[in-house]
Amino acid sequence: MARGLNRRQIGVTEEMMATFGEIVLRMSHNHQIREGDPYREKDWDAIERHREMMGLSDAEIAERIGLSRNQVLYIRTLMERRRFRTGHYARLLELGGGKRFRTERFTPHLDHFRYSEDALELRAAMNYPPDRARDYVEKGWWRNETQRRYLERNAAERPDAPAFVLPDRTLTWKELRDTAERVARGLWQLGLRPGDVVALQLPNIPEFAIANLAVTWFGGVVQTIHMPYRDAELQTLINHGRSRAIVCMGAAKDWSAAGAALEMQPQLPTLKHVIAVGETPDGAIPFAGLVAGDPDMEIGHEPSGADPHLLLYTSGTTSSPKGVPLNSHNMLSNARMSAPEKGLTADDRILSAAPFTHLYGLYAFHLGIVTGMANLLLPAFSPPALAGAIEEMKPTAVWFAPAHAAAMTAAGLIGKHDFGSMKMCLFAGSSSPPAMLHALQEAWPGCRVCQLWGMTELQAGMFTRPEDGIGKSAVFAGRASPGSTVRVADPETGEERPRGEEGEIQIRGPMVFPGYLRNREANETAFTTDRFFKSGDLGYMDEDGFVAITGRIKDIINRGGVKFNPQDIENLLSAHPAIQMAAVAPVPHDVLGEQACAWIQLNPGAEAPDLETLCAFLMEHRIARNKLPEKLVVVDEFPMTPTRKIVKGRLKAPAD
Amino acid sequence: MPRRKAEIDKDAAKEAVIGYCLKKGALAAGVADMDAVNRICPPGYRPADIMPRVKSVIALGVGGQTQGAWTVPAKALGYFGSTETRAYSISYGLAFYIENKFGLRSIYCPPDMDPDAGPRVPLQSLKVHAELAGIGARSLAGDILLHPDYGYMYFASVFTELELEPDAPLADNPCPAPSCVNMYRAIKRTPCMKFCPVQCLDGEVDEETGRQKIMRYDMAACAEMTQQYETVPSAIMDAIRATDEEDREDALFDPDNKMLWYKMSVGSGGLLAQCFECMRVCPVATQAPQADPILRHEHRLVPEAAE
Ligand code: SF4
Ligand code: SF4
Repeated sequence: MARGLNRRQIGVTEEMMATFGEIVLRMSHNHQIREGDPYREKDWDAIERHREMMGLSDAEIAERIGLSRNQVLYIRTLMERRRFRTGHYARLLELGGGKRFRTERFTPHLDHFRYSEDALELRAAMNYPPDRARDYVEKGWWRNETQRRYLERNAAERPDAPAFVLPDRTLTWKELRDTAERVARGLWQLGLRPGDVVALQLPNIPEFAIANLAVTWFGGVVQTIHMPYRDAELQTLINHGRSRAIVCMGAAKDWSAAGAALEMQPQLPTLKHVIAVGETPDGAIPFAGLVAGDPDMEIGHEPSGADPHLLLYTSGTTSSPKGVPLNSHNMLSNARMSAPEKGLTADDRILSAAPFTHLYGLYAFHLGIVTGMANLLLPAFSPPALAGAIEEMKPTAVWFAPAHAAAMTAAGLIGKHDFGSMKMCLFAGSSSPPAMLHALQEAWPGCRVCQLWGMTELQAGMFTRPEDGIGKSAVFAGRASPGSTVRVADPETGEERPRGEEGEIQIRGPMVFPGYLRNREANETAFTTDRFFKSGDLGYMDEDGFVAITGRIKDIINRGGVKFNPQDIENLLSAHPAIQMAAVAPVPHDVLGEQACAWIQLNPGAEAPDLETLCAFLMEHRIARNKLPEKLVVVDEFPMTPTRKIVKGRLKAPAD
Repeated sequence: MPRRKAEIDKDAAKEAVIGYCLKKGALAAGVADMDAVNRICPPGYRPADIMPRVKSVIALGVGGQTQGAWTVPAKALGYFGSTETRAYSISYGLAFYIENKFGLRSIYCPPDMDPDAGPRVPLQSLKVHAELAGIGARSLAGDILLHPDYGYMYFASVFTELELEPDAPLADNPCPAPSCVNMYRAIKRTPCMKFCPVQCLDGEVDEETGRQKIMRYDMAACAEMTQQYETVPSAIMDAIRATDEEDREDALFDPDNKMLWYKMSVGSGGLLAQCFECMRVCPVATQAPQADPILRHEHRLVPEAAE
C-alpha cells in the first residue's frame, strides 16, 4: 500500500511498472552526480542545474513523468525490491583490521566455488550414525586434523628433517610442504576444486607423496589405483569414482598409464586432466610443470577433518566396485592414536614394502604425517630390493606382508643382509604362518615382530603391540586398535561367540568407513544394526582379547552340506618343504556342490608332490578326511594383490 | 513553558545555544541559513513542512569513531549506533534547553524517514542543515560530510522558533585531502573510490587545483551494501517461493538470515545499516587533527579546563 491505498486504488498495473519503473528508479536516486561544490558555495544556478542529477523527490518525478505522487511512490518502492540484490553485507565480514577491499582480489560470494554434484554425493556418503559421531568427538578421537595441518606443522617444527627418502633423493618436510602447495595451486589452476576426486596411479616415489598432499591441500579427494591395473580396471575405477584427473606414470616398462588414460578419455566423461609423471605423452599435463606452479594463484579453501579425503576401492574388477570413502577423522585419528602404541615417534624411520595405493601402505604414510617421521621408499618390491633397502636405508619400522618375508626367506636373504636397524616390524595382508614369524623373531632379536589386521574399510583395526611378545604376535592378528571395539559373532545369527570359538570378526570404531559409495546393495549387508562392520573375516578371540584370523567367510567350502574353513589346510601345505605358498578354494562338483582344490607354488628347484603324497602329509597332521583337497594344481606364480595376498578369485580351476 | 522573555539578545542566545551543545559533547554546532535550506530542499522536505513556525535550524555534530574502531575488523564494530544516539540526545536536550531558557518552542528534528514516502527518503536532510551551518562539507565519498578538524561526524538538528543569526558554510572543503590528490594523480582514484566494497564511488579531482570536480555516487549500490531491510522481506519472499524444502529452510534460517531476525528482535538498527569502508580509509575521517579523541582532548578540553 502507498499511504494507505493499495495498487488497485492508485491505479498501478504491472504494465505501468514495466513502462515507468526504470525511469522512476533512475530519477529517484539511481545514479547521483555532483559537479563542483555548489551547496557549500551556494551556487544557486548550479544547484538548480544539478537537482535532477542528484535524484528527485517523488513529487518532482510525478510532475516530470505525468504520474500521481502515489503512483511514483508505489512504483519506486516496488522497483527497489525487485532490483536490489541482497547479501552484499557479507563483504564487510572480510574487511577492516588493515584488510581493504580490492576489486582485483575480490570474488563475489555467488561466484565462489560450490561443490559439484559428484562432490556433494561423496560428502553425502560420509553418513555416520549420530551416536557414533558424538562418542568419537566427545572422546577426542575425531578432531579437526588434516594432512595439510600436519604437513604445515612438520614443516614448521622440523623443516630439514627427512619426510620421504629414496636412496639417492631426500625430500625434507619443508621441501615437501612447499612443493605440495605449489602443485596444489597448479591443480587449482586446472579447475580442480574441493571434493573433486583425483586418481593417483603411482609407485612409492616422492611424487606420490607430493600429489597426495597437494590434492588434499585444497580439499580434493585422493583415489588410489594399484600399479598393476591396466585399461579395464582404470576405466571401471575412474568411472565409478567420477575422478576429474589422474596423476600417473607417463611411461613405464611395458605400458603408459597416461597414454591409456588419454586414449580412454572419450569413455571417461568426468576425466578432464591426465597428468603424467616423467615422460609426458601429447595431450597430458607434465607433473613437473605443476611443481613449477604459479605462486600468485590463491587457493580459497582449507579442508577440515570431516571432509572426505580418500576414495579407495576394494577391487577393480567387479561389475559393482566397492568404493570406500574415508576422511581424516577415520584415517588420521587411527594413525595418531596407534603410533604411540607401536612406540613410533618423529625420530623413527618407517619403510613400507606395501604400496601407497593400498591402505596398508597408506597407513605407513599416515603415520609418517602425524608423527613427523621419515617414510623410506621402496618403489617396487622384489626380495633383494627390499632386503637391500632395509640394509642401506636403515628403517626402524618395516611394514611387511607375509609373502614379502616368505620370498626373502626363500631367496635366502634373511641371514645375508643387515636387518639390525629395525626395532619393530608389522605383518599384515593375510594370515601369517606362525612358524615364519617365530623364525623371523629369532633372526631379528632386536626387532619386535608384530601383526596387524586391517582392511580398506578401516585401516588398522587390530594389532599386536611390541610388548605383547612373539608368543601372541605369531598366532594372533592383534587386539583392538585404540578406540575400536572388536567382537566375534555368528555370521548367520549375529550372536556373539564365546571366547575361543570361531565366528565373523566385527568391528566398530572411529576409523571405520561410513559405507560404500553408490552401492546400496553392499551397504545393506555391510553393518550390523548396532553399527559393527561385518568384516567377512573368520577368527576367534582369546581370553585376553587377542583375535586370530582363521579365514574368509566366502572361502568356506560347502562339501555336500558340510562346511569347513580351508585355512588350516593352507597353513599345513605352506609348511611342506617343497611348497612356497598354497591356497585351497572350492571348485564346483556335480553331486557334492563343491569340493576342495589345492593350488601350490613350489620352492625354487623343488619337485612337485602329487595329490596322494600331499594328502598323506596332511593326514599325518590329523586333518579330518572330508577336508582333504580332492584336486591339485601347481602354479608357476600365484596372482597376488598389491599387498601380496593370493587372489583366489583369479585361480583357474582344473580342466576336468 | 516559561513565559517568553520580552527581549532576546540574538548574539547572547546564539552563544548560549552553541555553548550548550559543546558542553554536552558536540564537537561542532552552527545555525543554517533558513532561506538557503528552503531553496535547496524540495517542497515537502523543508523545515516548515514539519514545524510551520520554525525560525532557525541548529545543526550539531558529535565525534565519529575512535582510532581503534577504525582499525579493528569491520565486523567487530558493525554497531556504531551509540554515536548517533549521542547526537540525538544532545539535540533533544537542546530543544528543552531553548524552551526553558527562552520560552520558545523547539523540536528535535526526527532523524527518520518520511512515513509518506517509504524508506530511503529522509523526512529532513540533516546533511543540508549541517553543511549550511558550516560544520561539514560534501566529500567525494557519496557526499558524506567531512570537517577539517573533526573529520567524520554524526549530525542532528534542532528546529526552533528562536531567531538566531545563521552561520556561513565552511570556507574550504577538506576533501580531497592532499594525500588523496596524490593518489588520484597516480591512479585516477581516491582511497574511498578504490576501497568501496561495492565500487559505488567514482569521480574526478581537478589535478591542478586539487579540488573536487565531479562526484558520482551509485546510491542504489551503496544501499544494497549497507541497508539490509530490503533483505528481510526478500528472505520471506524467497521462502514462500522456494520449491525445495532445503532452500526454504535456508531462506529463513541459514546463519545470515537468522542474523537478520536477531538484529530485528533486539532492535539493533546499526547492524541493519552499516558499512563505512569509505570512511575507514579516508584520511580526513581518521586523521583530522581532532578526529582522534586524544588529540581532541589536547586541542580543546585541556585548554578549556585550564580556563
Ligand atoms: S558506505 Fe560502503 S558502500 Fe557506501 S559508499 Fe561507503 S564504502 Fe561504499
Ligand atoms: S578518502 Fe576522504 S578525503 Fe579522500 S577523497 Fe575520499 S572522502 Fe575525500
